Amino acid sequence: MGRILVANRRGHQVVEWETTDTEEAREQIAAAERIIREAREAGCAVSRKEGDRHVIDHQPFDPKVEEYQIIAPIAGG
Amino acid sequence: MAHPITLPSWLRRLSGRFGGSPSAGAEGAVDPAIEQPWRKRWDHLPKRTAGYGFTHADYAEARRRAREVARSTLGEETWRRLQRQGYLDLPSQRIPGMVYRLRVGRRIEVLCPPGVVSPWPWDFLCINPTYPLPEEEFFAQLYLYLRDREDIVLKVAAPQPWDQALGRTF
Repeated sequence: MGRILVANRRGHQVVEWETTDTEEAREQIAAAERIIREAREAGCAVSRKEGDRHVIDHQPFDPKVEEYQIIAPIAGG
Repeated sequence: MAHPITLPSWLRRLSGRFGGSPSAGAEGAVDPAIEQPWRKRWDHLPKRTAGYGFTHADYAEARRRAREVARSTLGEETWRRLQRQGYLDLPSQRIPGMVYRLRVGRRIEVLCPPGVVSPWPWDFLCINPTYPLPEEEFFAQLYLYLRDREDIVLKVAAPQPWDQALGRTF
């Protein structure tokens, strides 16, 4: 199972997907991919878990990644 | 038998932008309970708030969850260092000798030893998320930006002469 931590004012909310080959899993993966794509288009960064920490990731969405996180765009001032 | 209507993808995207619930289809449905803050504007909110209708319990729960995710974002060793010191230092990878000092909820302090020239006229950098976040969560995100995408920080940072709490975190 993979997941995205959607960082927001709630602290974070979680979007999960199964990696089994079922219609439901495919829909979950499509939803996860869509969130990552839309967030990037809106200027967010995305990190993925590597070992016990996160690193900023520039690769296309990969359902085999254990955990992503959506990082807010930043602005000065 | 009625056939479901499939909207073209551009119309589904437009619907999503204006708060519509994306329909299940080739692109996948997103649970409407998941708040996607990049879809909204937050400029109207008072500083250091999460929005109207957010209760004390909501703030407490958000901060609790933020602490969890900040810890897992930074990793155990870095998290413990933050708890022990009250700040984290990150050496710049672009300007040798320069160090960024991060404190939760505060501006970044730029530390330069003698002989190292800062690109900014003042020692504090004001950088906020574009939507409200609990301050520990944003602290971890800012750490990632500085470590992995310092170029973005160099581009957006607003130098300031003094330290102050960030306005878009709570």
